[in-house]
Amino acid sequence: MSACPRGASRSLCKTRFHLEYLHLQILSVISAEQLRRMFERRMNFDLRRLLSGAEPLMHSLLTRIEWDLAMSTSSLHCLKVEPMLRKSIADALVPTSKIKDILYVILVAEERVITLVRPKKHSIHPSDLHVLINTIHAPSIMNSSAAASWLPVCLPKYNGSAFVNAYVMFLRRDAEMQPSQKDGDVESSPQAGPTTSSSVQSNVPKPSREICLMCVSGSADFEAVRSWCDTASQRLTNDGLLLALSDAMDRRETEYTVADLGIPGLRHFVYKSRPNVQVTMPLFEDPYDDLKERRRLITLYQRLYDAIHAKSGQGSTLKLQYIRTERESVMGWITQFFELYIALSPRLPKSAAINAANAVARWVQKEDKRLFLRDAPVF
Amino acid sequence: MSKQLQFKLVLLGESAVGKSSLVLRFVKDQFDDYRESTIGAAFLTQTVTLDDQTTVKFEIWDTAGQERYKSLAPMYYRNANCAVVVYDITQAASLEKARSWIRELQRQADPSIVIALCGNKADLAARRQVSEEEAKKYAEEEGLMWAETSAKSGEGVHEIFTAIAKKLPTTTSPSARGGARTGAAARTGVDLNKQAANAPGQNEPCNC
Repeated sequence: MSACPRGASRSLCKTRFHLEYLHLQILSVISAEQLRRMFERRMNFDLRRLLSGAEPLMHSLLTRIEWDLAMSTSSLHCLKVEPMLRKSIADALVPTSKIKDILYVILVAEERVITLVRPKKHSIHPSDLHVLINTIHAPSIMNSSAAASWLPVCLPKYNGSAFVNAYVMFLRRDAEMQPSQKDGDVESSPQAGPTTSSSVQSNVPKPSREICLMCVSGSADFEAVRSWCDTASQRLTNDGLLLALSDAMDRRETEYTVADLGIPGLRHFVYKSRPNVQVTMPLFEDPYDDLKERRRLITLYQRLYDAIHAKSGQGSTLKLQYIRTERESVMGWITQFFELYIALSPRLPKSAAINAANAVARWVQKEDKRLFLRDAPVF
Repeated sequence: MSKQLQFKLVLLGESAVGKSSLVLRFVKDQFDDYRESTIGAAFLTQTVTLDDQTTVKFEIWDTAGQERYKSLAPMYYRNANCAVVVYDITQAASLEKARSWIRELQRQADPSIVIALCGNKADLAARRQVSEEEAKKYAEEEGLMWAETSAKSGEGVHEIFTAIAKKLPTTTSPSARGGARTGAAARTGVDLNKQAANAPGQNEPCNC
């Protein structure tokens, strides 16, 4: 949800936002510096040649951007994990002083961040992280039989003229999980026409259940990075942390539903912690488990986002925007500490929406250690 | 007495000649009809048992064949004990590319590196553009091992890796080489800004 100037059309802003992200993904493959040089030499340079083999990255990015609210809110999305487990994992991933030039050590599961260990002087820009996450989930990496991959990658927001290297290791792959995607069989939904429903459902981004350790290094010494990552992953295994995480994922403790909040009429929400630059949200459940419904909700969230961002200067303390449609009412609320987007039953009065928003904010703040990555170690 | 030797192997060659498929066949005995291009490089290991109680563990770097990754190749072959340079028997141009990789290895890699030239996609012999004679003659001239393989059918795959394993020195301790590599690799480490100069494709002229 790029901030959209008032008056500009929504679809134009959306296209612009998509193009900006696509540009970042292209830069991750060939760097801004190289791109500049190419076009300096030849204005009509055909970029496709240089990008050959990287097309799947562009395609997956465009799908991702449609659905990933962390991308559109320029935030990190963390996996819900018990704070002690998150801390123990982070401690196991702090690089020893012997290994040089490590930029980030990131553990990702279900395409969300569990922890991110970084040097004191560098934080990570959310869009760099999203480009990395998109890259490591490319089929040629995620579905590969390789023990690990070593990828030269340019993180445009970190340094658009340099390449760093990402060592990527899947500690658990999607296929190794028990089959559980099948529980909502198409046949079991009585009213839905099976063909339309299945054709719609097949496009819904599937949650991937992998666990991936990624070490981004400024050094080209992959043997050093590899041996450190091997040690770190051994430590995660030996200390039982990998198993604890894997079990939590299998028991679905890493996700939550609006029912966990017990707020009448609440159907979905997105909460962005502004100081942490992180979002959290429950699963998309009925009716938003349907692709069309979900797309509609996301579009509504985007309208709210535009409204509360275009109007508010950064210093303002409270902005609200409320929209009611036939199907739901939605409200966006921005304060100094958070942005909140909620979707409710359209039958509720506006005052109930405000109460619900307050209740969501209270719940998130109470759960914040589970939902957000805070105090991750720096080195 | 049994002993285990460990060697580093790098796969090089033009994109889409079947490097990753060859490794997948060797490591997992599998084949996928459709594979996405490798991004960067993939690391795999596989152990080969030789007749005489000796096992050889290969640490394999399967590199991406795209032009933009070309300048990164030295990182992988610099410390390699052996290289498998792959071409596609149905694409004459891919043999040319293989020759240029071999020239580069002969100039830049460790002089003791064992190089195997591998003509993949032997199952597509009907569309052959590179004759066995031509490739074999070239390999003999250059003192390379040579074989045709089919990652799809499995033909020749295990054989070429086993042949390499047999050709690698069993006397010189590979762990000594392993010790040496750290220093060599450390030299390749560059600071982030300097690394931009090593960016993939940087030395490549624009061929458009």
